[in-house]
Amino acid sequence: MLVIDGQQGEGGGQILRSSLALSMVTGTPFRIENIRAGRRKPGLMRQHLTAVRAAKKICDAYVIGDEIRSTELTFRPGTVKAGEYHFSIGTAGSTTLVLQAVLPALILANGKSTVTIEGGTHNPFAPPFDFLQKTFIPLLNRMGPTVEMTLDRHGFFPAGGGSFRVEIVPAEKLTGFDLMNRGNIVRKQATAIVANLPIDIAKRELEVIQKKLSFSTDCICYKQINDTPGPGNIVTIEIESESLCEVFTGFGEIGRAAEAVANRAIQMCQRYLKYGAPVGEYLADQILLPLAIAGRSQFHATFMSQHTQTHIDLVQKFLDCRISVDDRQRDGVTITIL
Amino acid sequence: MSKRIVIGQLGPTLDKGYKRNRWENWRPTISICQHEDHLIDQFELLFQKKFQDLADQVTEDIKSISPETKVNHHRIEYRDAWDFQDVFSGLYDFADNYNFDTDNNEYVVHITTGTHVSQICLFLLTESRHFPAKLLQTSPPRRKRSNEPGSFNIIDLDLSKYDHIAQRFLLEQTRDLDFLKSGIATRNTLFNRMMEQIEHITIHSNDPILLTGPTGAGKSQLAKRIYELKNQKRQIQGPLVEVNCATIRGDTAMSTLFGHTRGAFTGAATARKGLLVEANNGMLFLDEVGELGPDEQTMLLRAIEEKRFLAVGADKETQSEFSLICGTNRDLLNEVKEGRFREDLLARINLWTFKLPGLAERRDDIEPNIEYELSQLTRNTGRQVHFNNEARRHFLEFAMSEDAFWSANFRDVNACMRRMATMAPSGRITQSVVKDEIERLNQSWQTPITCNEKDNNILLKILGTQRIEEIDIFDIAQLRTVVNVCFESSSLSEAGRKLFAASRKQRKTINDADRLRKYLAKFDLDWQTIKKSS
Repeated sequence: MLVIDGQQGEGGGQILRSSLALSMVTGTPFRIENIRAGRRKPGLMRQHLTAVRAAKKICDAYVIGDEIRSTELTFRPGTVKAGEYHFSIGTAGSTTLVLQAVLPALILANGKSTVTIEGGTHNPFAPPFDFLQKTFIPLLNRMGPTVEMTLDRHGFFPAGGGSFRVEIVPAEKLTGFDLMNRGNIVRKQATAIVANLPIDIAKRELEVIQKKLSFSTDCICYKQINDTPGPGNIVTIEIESESLCEVFTGFGEIGRAAEAVANRAIQMCQRYLKYGAPVGEYLADQILLPLAIAGRSQFHATFMSQHTQTHIDLVQKFLDCRISVDDRQRDGVTITIL
Repeated sequence: MSKRIVIGQLGPTLDKGYKRNRWENWRPTISICQHEDHLIDQFELLFQKKFQDLADQVTEDIKSISPETKVNHHRIEYRDAWDFQDVFSGLYDFADNYNFDTDNNEYVVHITTGTHVSQICLFLLTESRHFPAKLLQTSPPRRKRSNEPGSFNIIDLDLSKYDHIAQRFLLEQTRDLDFLKSGIATRNTLFNRMMEQIEHITIHSNDPILLTGPTGAGKSQLAKRIYELKNQKRQIQGPLVEVNCATIRGDTAMSTLFGHTRGAFTGAATARKGLLVEANNGMLFLDEVGELGPDEQTMLLRAIEEKRFLAVGADKETQSEFSLICGTNRDLLNEVKEGRFREDLLARINLWTFKLPGLAERRDDIEPNIEYELSQLTRNTGRQVHFNNEARRHFLEFAMSEDAFWSANFRDVNACMRRMATMAPSGRITQSVVKDEIERLNQSWQTPITCNEKDNNILLKILGTQRIEEIDIFDIAQLRTVVNVCFESSSLSEAGRKLFAASRKQRKTINDADRLRKYLAKFDLDWQTIKKSS
């Protein structure tokens, strides 16, 4: 049995989620030990448990150790079943993380699937919905499947209460691609959303963005929403180029000025624009797994985090591929999958 | 995998919030379900009818943040949430009707919400295991308005699970045990186990204790120690009142024990409180309780059961609350059979019975007791007393052998150590001192009653072997003399006159024949039977 050391690299929940995804795709059973061993609260937390149970449901897996705070888990996948799935997720914000665990299996399944996930859709500790919808999914679709994400309702931390749907038409196999150049920037857009909070917050955020990134007035928009149970604020900056659309997000927090929220997104955006690489730091981490499944790909990223390194090591345990990293260039890192 | 079930009260103040901004405040009930490292499978939410709307809101919010949690509503009505009795009864009834399944579920009782009174009630009911649960205390995050769930502390009231606390208890217990044993490091396993039980009972119960065992086994010493231990633990404040029941037989017994009013009888010039009243809030030690007369037994039973009794000559009952220790060297069960002791009184004082073994039954404790006596002598006389090595070995060898009867038990040890200390030249007990003492002891233990064969034959003839075996040597010796006098006398009255010759001079009314008849009746004998056998 394949044994994964849960504390390698950054040693968080992502090793677990990616292991689940890869195990389902390859049919390889695995045991993961020392889950989150170095963390303040080691072992499986609720959001990890939810991911394990979602994966278990999708492929009828045989699982040992799926308990809160468990530091060891054995996962023996069955056959992946396409179909209609509904997952309710607590502690706002882990919805997109759960999707990460199950999506790779479903885009290669034997039929169409619909996945509805309820909970938090915009949480500072997980990829926000907009990033998945606008950046990640279009690239995934480029590999073969047709995935469509629709947001029904926003869900902010801590109240949650959001919901989104994912329609999946699978592909027989994934095809890799090269993503080495950004090309020209064709669209810029900044959006500020407030939920159950004064609209003024959104306006202030956009003002900063307009000023610092010199966006024209038709590139900005704000929205006030009232159909979510809790308060929330998010500002996103989209940079669409010839090859992809990157999204940078700032999350509103209690006690944090609107300007500071906007600044965080601005800084990330500025860094991205400064380098010529098409793939941002977060995207590099996300896209690696499906590209490795597809095989024969290459991309150029602005920066490689420890997350990505951990991911590279893990992927090679499940898949018959070789991943090389070239970080000698001045403006980023080239990752090649063979 | 066991389910975790939280039982908690809705906090009408802390959990309150209907507007969207309620998420900015820390709400304890919600926070329980917000922790990433705690999965709550079920929440039993207790609330009063008037807070139904809030309960619904909280339930909806829990569903949003923790869809894994199933929330059940339970209505509990209080007239006044600050009334202890009211709240306690309400929570008690809930616990009583709730179907706890501790094999499959883990229960925690949340005590952060509700009035202080209800928190106290939950604590008490959890401690008494009406809620077979651990306690859960939550508190807000250190940074105000930070959206974090704050702290989540589970408190297990099973103190034995905490090493540090358990160690302290063990230390205290050892200290108490040591105290009961007067600091003597006894080695006898049975005796030590018995002392552990006595220590436990002393601290955890107020029921009567019955100490049995041969004379000199240390009954009254132990009773004193039990009293002092209870007193140290602030369980009793009153005095220790010691009575040897053998010394209060006869007319004055009732008034000694229960008191009398002024003029209750001739000579009762002033009122007397009686020992039971003196022992109020303290402890009464009735030594030789088997010697109590029937009337005193009846009154004592009432005093124990109802904490009240009638003083001699009084028409109003007196009250007194005391802990009771009884001592006896008699077999009280046998006394009951013989009709000399009330069965119901025995049942009442016989709850905790401990038979203190004689020294011969715990020879391994002789050495520590000798050490103890030596240290007591040193303390009392201010003079160091030691054994010579050789002398110590010699004495211990004898003391622990079967040759040493120790028939008066600890009194023997005490007396012999005293004698040796006195004889010890310059505080050193030498071989010759030990030799002399052994001789002295042997002499004192020689059975004074050497059974005359002829006399025994007479008794055998009258009573039969089986009956004789049931009678103590103590009584046999007396009976033998009485029977012999009877043989030599022509009538019951003549025998009576001879037998009670000394005491009849002081008596106003004389009925020696009756006294003799009653004495013989104790052994199922009468004048005719004796005369027939002569």
